[in-house]
Amino acid sequence: MNNLKDNILFTQLNRTIDYFNKYKQIRQELKKNRAPYDKKIKIAVLSSFTIKGLKEVLFVKCAELGILSEFYIADYNQYSQEILNIKSKLYEFNPDLIILFVDIQDLMGKYYFEFYQLSEHQRNKLINEKLTLMKKLIYKLTENSSAKIILNNFKIPSFSPFGILENKQKAGFIENIQKLNFDITKEFKNNSQVFIFDYDCFCGKFGKDNVVDYKLYYLGDIKLNLDYLPQLCDCYLSYIKPLISLTRKCIVLDLDNTLWGGIIGEDGIEGIHLGPTPEGRPFLEFQKYLLSLFNRGVILAINSNNNLNDALAVFKKHPYMVLKEEHFATMKINWNDKISNMKNIAQEINIGLDSIVFFDDDKFNREIIKDALPEVLVIDLPSDTSLYLKTLMQINDFNILQITDEDKRKGKIYADQRRRETLKESIVDITKYLKTLEMIVTIKKADFFNIPRISQLTMKTNQFNMTTRRYSEEKIKEFSVDKNYLVVSVKVEDKFGDNGISGVVIIKKKKAEWNIDTFLLSCRIIGRKVDEILLDYIIDQAKKAKIKAIVGEFIPTKKNLSNRGFYKNNHFVLAKKEKNREIWKYDTNLEYSAPDFIKVVKK
Amino acid sequence: MDKLKEILSKILEIDKNKINDQSSPDNIESWDSFNHLLIISEIEKELGVQIDIGEVGEIRNFGDIKRAVLKKLKNE
Repeated sequence: MNNLKDNILFTQLNRTIDYFNKYKQIRQELKKNRAPYDKKIKIAVLSSFTIKGLKEVLFVKCAELGILSEFYIADYNQYSQEILNIKSKLYEFNPDLIILFVDIQDLMGKYYFEFYQLSEHQRNKLINEKLTLMKKLIYKLTENSSAKIILNNFKIPSFSPFGILENKQKAGFIENIQKLNFDITKEFKNNSQVFIFDYDCFCGKFGKDNVVDYKLYYLGDIKLNLDYLPQLCDCYLSYIKPLISLTRKCIVLDLDNTLWGGIIGEDGIEGIHLGPTPEGRPFLEFQKYLLSLFNRGVILAINSNNNLNDALAVFKKHPYMVLKEEHFATMKINWNDKISNMKNIAQEINIGLDSIVFFDDDKFNREIIKDALPEVLVIDLPSDTSLYLKTLMQINDFNILQITDEDKRKGKIYADQRRRETLKESIVDITKYLKTLEMIVTIKKADFFNIPRISQLTMKTNQFNMTTRRYSEEKIKEFSVDKNYLVVSVKVEDKFGDNGISGVVIIKKKKAEWNIDTFLLSCRIIGRKVDEILLDYIIDQAKKAKIKAIVGEFIPTKKNLSNRGFYKNNHFVLAKKEKNREIWKYDTNLEYSAPDFIKVVKK
Repeated sequence: MDKLKEILSKILEIDKNKINDQSSPDNIESWDSFNHLLIISEIEKELGVQIDIGEVGEIRNFGDIKRAVLKKLKNE
C-alpha cells in the first residue's frame, strides 16, 4: 500500500473527468508494475442504458484502496438475456460482484408516459408483472452465480400529469413505483446474497433535477449525470470494502475540539462548548451519532494529549456528555506522542491499524499519523465544526455484509474487556482472576439462530483456529442436519458482560473415532480456559457414544502458530506429522479434568 | 481559444499544438462518440456557456466547436 501511494497520487480527484484521466494513467502503469495491488475483485455491470464511465471511476476508486478490479460490462440493454442464458459471458466471467442497474423508464417502456391510459386493473397488473420479472431475474442470478448482487432500486419520478392530484389517483403512477421498490426490498430482506441499493434515495440526496443531464441523455442515453459517478461509486464501495475484508472496526477520537469545543485544560468544564447552543450542538450531535455507531458495533477509543483528570471530569460531570467512559474500549489520555498511543490502542484491543479510523481536529496530529501509520484512515476534519456530523456520516468503511447480534454488541464487548483488564492488572494469579470473573459457558448445537455466527467465525478467525477451514452458512446448515457431524457454538458470559458466541467446534463422526474438523475461539476469549471446557465437552460426548479415540488436526498458518501446542498440552499424542499438517490423538479412556470454576450450560 | 484546446487535449490525450480547425473524429482516433459528449459537457462547465442540442448535432470538427462557443460568448 505504501508503495502504491508513492506511485500514484490520488489527491485532486474531484471531477469525473479527472477519474477518466487517472484511469488511463493507472492502466499505463499497470503494464510496468502490478505489485501494489494485493487484492482483486471482478465486477459485472448489467444495465438497461449506456453506463459508460462507471467502470473507469470505480476502477480508480478501487485502485485507491489497493484493489485491482476487473470489469465485465454487458452490452446496452442486454441484461435479461445475459441473466437468463446460463452460457452467457456474464457467468463465464465469474464475477464476485454483480451490479444490476435498470432504469425505471426502460422498465416501464411506453407506459412510463402512458401509465394512465391503462385501466386501474391493468396498472396494477403491469406493476405486478414488472415485480415478478425483476424477482425472476435476481433469483436466476443467485442460482447461477455466487457473486454478491447489488440491485439499484428505481428512481421515483418527480412529475405526474395529475400534478397535485397524483396521490389521489387509484393505483397511481408514483405510488406504484414506490410499491415496486418496497416489494423488492421486502422480498430480499433476509437474503444474504442480494442487496438493494437505494438509488432513489441517492438521487434524492443530490437532487432529482441535478442527476439527469438532459442533453447527454438525449445525445447518448446517459441516464446519470456524469458528475455524480464518483458519488455513485462511493456507494458501491460500501459493498466492495466488506467484500474484500476492508471493513474498519474502531474509531479513535481526540478530545479537545473534536468531542467538545474548546480546550478543557484552559477553558474548564464550564467553558467548553457542548450542549444545546449553536456552538455546542455540532459536538452534541457528533457524539450522538458516534453513540449510534457504538450501538451498532463500532469500537470507540480515545487518543488525546490532556491531563487525565481534567478529561475524565468531563465524562463524569458534564451534563451534555453523551459518550461515557463505559463506551470506550481504551482511553489513552496522556502526554505521550499520538503515534505510540495509537499503536498501543491497536495492540491493547487486538485489532490491526488498518481497522482504525482517526478523528482529530489538529492538522499536525493528523499528518504525523498519516505519515507514521499509513494504514490508519485519518479523516480530514473540516475546520468548521458544523460539518463534523456530515463528515462522520459520509464514512462508508464500517459496513459489513451481514450483521449478527455479536457484531451489534462489539463496541460494548470491547469496552467490557477494558474493565476486565483493569481487574486482571490488580490480580497477579491468573486462576484467581478467572475465578473472580464468574464465567458461564453455554455450549449449543447449531440451529437457525447461531448458524450465521458460526459461519462468520469460521470465515474470520485466524489466531486460535486449529484448521482454518472456512465454511459458508449453507455448508454449516448442511453439517447441522447431517448425523455424521456435530456442530456446536460456545457463548461466554461473565460478570462484566456477555461476549456472545465466540467459539466453534465441528466434529466429523466416524465409526471408531471422532475427528475434530474445526476448533476455534475468538481472540477476545483466548486464555480464559474456554478451550478446556470445550475439549471436556467433546471427550464427554465421545465417551457417551462409546468412541475410543478423538483425532485432532493442526494445520499451521502464518497466524495460528502461537496455538500450535494446544493438542499437546491437552494430552493428545502426535500420530502423524506431515509438512503442512499434524494429526494428534486422544484416548478417551484417559480422564480429562476441566476447570471447575466455570459454569457450563449445555443446550 | 487556448482553453478549448486544453479541454480537447485533456480528454483526447493529444498534444495541444496538434489541434487545428480541421481536427475531427475522422482524423483523431480517440475522438469517439462518448468523448464527443465529454468535450461538449466540459466546454459548458469550464466556459460557462450552454450549447443547445441542435448546435451539438452540427459540430463536425474543432472549427465548428470554436464557432459555436464564440457565438455564445458574443451573445452574452
